[in-house]
Amino acid sequence: MPAMPSRLRILGGILAGILILGVTGCMFDIVSVPQAPTQFTPVAGKGESFVLREAHYVSIGTFFQTILEAGTKWVMIGRIPEGAVYRSDDQVLTVEASNIHEAALVVDGGEVVGFYLLVEKTFCPAQQKTPLK
Amino acid sequence: MKPRLSFALLIIVALLGGCASGPDFSEYSPKIPPVDPQMARIFLYRPGSFGAAIQPAIRVNGTEVGIAKAEGAFYYDVPPGEYTIETRTEVVRKLTLKLEKGDVRYVRFGVSMGFVAGHIYPELVDASVGTAEIQDCHYSGAVR
Repeated sequence: MPAMPSRLRILGGILAGILILGVTGCMFDIVSVPQAPTQFTPVAGKGESFVLREAHYVSIGTFFQTILEAGTKWVMIGRIPEGAVYRSDDQVLTVEASNIHEAALVVDGGEVVGFYLLVEKTFCPAQQKTPLK
Repeated sequence: MKPRLSFALLIIVALLGGCASGPDFSEYSPKIPPVDPQMARIFLYRPGSFGAAIQPAIRVNGTEVGIAKAEGAFYYDVPPGEYTIETRTEVVRKLTLKLEKGDVRYVRFGVSMGFVAGHIYPELVDASVGTAEIQDCHYSGAVR
């Protein structure tokens, strides 16, 4: 087999490098938070509240878990079709994949069913429903 | 000077040159005015010197407000609303958050692995964490 001319080898190397960079660049950005548009209706006045006795770890199917800390108080701020929406002054709440989004907690039937993304106005379901304790 | 020693010095200078060099934030913070009640305040800081050579611009809703310098910190006041804070290295890393009047929020910049260069990503942290960690940074100033 004839040897590949050095210029061709260099060009091939450059093209391979660009391809690798492109593919890996995409890989770093490939995990996104699963979400679907929803309709938020705020509650009038002060909503109902609860305090968590235990810490809860909620996964949305990405590599990152969202932690609800023990002792935090959650106040209802509204509703979406998927459940009641709660926020807390005691901790920040985010969901995370390649990017991070501030969120509120969505509870239905005494279970955490997911998150309401405050800027995107979307619902992100929990991988598993988590009973509140 | 021996080549090895000069190379090591070059590396050290390159690393330290990437760190913020303003006044200690703990000394500067008493000079910071309280947030206007009609506005919200975001403290942006990057603790530690890991990956100091990587210093991407910090953009808030597309506007460059500062640089994510290692050990650097500054604040930026904005009207209440919805915000996207992002940095770009090999990839764009974003944080979305909603701010109300009088809110004071802390956004920390971390370093994660990349292919050619590390990624600098913004994350929202609790005020108790932010107020403690930012004290070890230097005031690096916002772009106004």
